[in-house]
Amino acid sequence: MRRTLGIAIASLLLTASVQAGAPEIRLEFWTISLRPFFTDYITELARTYERQNPGVRVRWVDQPVGAVVQKLLGSLAAGTPPDVVNLNVPMTAELAQQGGLFPLGDLLRPEDRDRYFEGMLRSFEIAGKLYGLPWYVAPPVVAYHVGIWRRAGLDPDRPPRTAEELVAYAKRIKDRTGLYGFMPNVDGTNLLQRFQEAGLPILAGGRAVFHSDRHVRELERWVRLFRQDYFPEETLRRGYLGATERYTAGQLGMLITGPQFLLRVRHDNRAVYDQTRVGPYPLDRGRVIHAPLMGLAVPRTTRHPREAVRFALYVTEDRNQLAFCRIVTIFPTTKAAARDPFFTRLPPKPTPEDHARVLDARQLPYARDLTVVVPHQGELMKAFRDNVEAAFFGRKTPKQALDDAVRFWNARL
Amino acid sequence: MRGSRALSLAPARSLAGPRLRTTLTAYLFLAPALVLLGAFTFAPLAFGTLLAFADYNVLAPPRWVGAENFRTLARDPAFWVALRNSLRYLLVVPAIQVAALALALLVNRRLPGITLFRAAYYVPVITSFAVAGLMWNWMYAQHGVVNWVGLRLGLLARPFDWLNHPTLALYAVMLVTFWKGIGYYMVLYLAGLQAVPQELLEAARVDGAGRVQAFLLVTLPLLRPTLLLCTLLSTLAAVKVFEEVYVMTGGGPFGQTTTALLYVYQKAFQEFRFGLAAAAGLFVAALGLGLSLLYVRLFREGGLRPW
Repeated sequence: MRRTLGIAIASLLLTASVQAGAPEIRLEFWTISLRPFFTDYITELARTYERQNPGVRVRWVDQPVGAVVQKLLGSLAAGTPPDVVNLNVPMTAELAQQGGLFPLGDLLRPEDRDRYFEGMLRSFEIAGKLYGLPWYVAPPVVAYHVGIWRRAGLDPDRPPRTAEELVAYAKRIKDRTGLYGFMPNVDGTNLLQRFQEAGLPILAGGRAVFHSDRHVRELERWVRLFRQDYFPEETLRRGYLGATERYTAGQLGMLITGPQFLLRVRHDNRAVYDQTRVGPYPLDRGRVIHAPLMGLAVPRTTRHPREAVRFALYVTEDRNQLAFCRIVTIFPTTKAAARDPFFTRLPPKPTPEDHARVLDARQLPYARDLTVVVPHQGELMKAFRDNVEAAFFGRKTPKQALDDAVRFWNARL
Repeated sequence: MRGSRALSLAPARSLAGPRLRTTLTAYLFLAPALVLLGAFTFAPLAFGTLLAFADYNVLAPPRWVGAENFRTLARDPAFWVALRNSLRYLLVVPAIQVAALALALLVNRRLPGITLFRAAYYVPVITSFAVAGLMWNWMYAQHGVVNWVGLRLGLLARPFDWLNHPTLALYAVMLVTFWKGIGYYMVLYLAGLQAVPQELLEAARVDGAGRVQAFLLVTLPLLRPTLLLCTLLSTLAAVKVFEEVYVMTGGGPFGQTTTALLYVYQKAFQEFRFGLAAAAGLFVAALGLGLSLLYVRLFREGGLRPW
């Protein structure tokens, strides 16, 4: 009896010690502002990965968009970085230039690379090395308030088809209703993307060239609209968040934004959401649309680079991207997922998000992340922003502002 | 002989023993605080000072560059704008002191419901900057309540974004600092007022002093330590103002509301130039220290000793 008991205890202890000694890899996964809307999706994603990969544990941490870079920098300095982190292209460029990210190239097989749209994958190439896997993309749409449009005498069945028409509609809304027609994406450094959408170059031969007469005319146009009060001053300070708030309050004729923000409108003001229709973002002369791209990067000092890349590949695989796209109007970065009928067919009772999905899917061939990646990213972008703002507030002429910004850039490039 | 030596040494030993023990005990009590101060104040200060002479981006080891960071600062117009804004921010100091003292006088009486008033003025102090910033952001917005009131009263021709105005934005943020800080200083002044001996005030009144005279000649001189403390605290807070500017304007438009500490933040966390940020930080610290010494000296000349 005593012997049997001894054997049982010994085998229990042995089992426990084997379990305790089993290799367990803990991956920390940071996302940006996905709580609370997507908590279930991310949690399920992580749990499924753990089930499929015994011995791997995933810890999900959601960071606010304004703090993710600082927190990542802090964790890198402290030697406790996450293993996989969600970054957009500008953030990836900044951190990669500082040597904070792991180049993924060697850990990817050619077939892994082939899954993604080439342009999107290349958006994460900095100085010839790949630092991120594209996760999701959201080309802009024009959401518009049918009631305001009717008051302005605009036909809700005829959304603007060109960039000029978009501006003309916005002016008409302001003139006829007193409400602002739009909050264009000219805040911060978005004018760099506007230039490219208008077919104007930013860099040539490694030098900044955004001060030609055509660039100056483009900036003059926006400054004139600003001075004539055709878009609110808040546009320059609060960008798309301010636009979403104003639209949600029923105080804006058109909302130019990623379709995922329709979720916020639906959540915050159902009455405005019910008055909302969606049209395509008009193509300008550049035949290209800036589509902010989100990706997954691996910090340089991670202890598990291989496992981190495997997890990033898993998160961005077709099935998981499709599942994400089904709960919010975003678009996949893999070619196979984008071919799914979900992006081409409208359901019987389509919502604004359904319309946005089908419209945006048609625009995907024109969508690029037009973020300009340059050395000293933060410093150069601040110089650009400050100069353009000085032009908007009449402290500099548009020509002087662009000349000054180009001079600053070329001295640092 | 033996006995005499013992006699002559005995008093010295008896003095040294307790003195040493007292000293050791004192240092033992100080030790935890000294260790914490050393680890969390002096060591980072020393590291920051060293960093001011280095090129450092967190991810690579620091590289010694001598005084280059200070030369860069001297050449950077944005730094001087930031410093100018921090000095402008000092306008908050006299305003907040006068208002807080006036409020403290107002609530320093026995009236029904006065505790509620005191608490109400303290609510902004315990409100986080994120919440306060967001709330004032809405109030200052073009469709916000400030413009609405301005238009109704005929003070404004058209609504505008207060936080985006190149000249007014900084003053708009200052008002938030004023609103948020007034309760804090009010409480300090209230404590100071309640420590003023009533018999002195009564004696002054018996001697024929009116309310104003009693305040100026009795209360105010006795409040000098509180005045010095509050002025020092609010000056240092003004020199190193950061949160409200960061939350409400981000330093814009075109850097016109950037303060010295926001400049430090931008250089460190947006441009990853930690050496330059440390140099600017040293400059801000020196400015705060200089102003503190100046205040202490000014108040001493006013008669610190008799306190």
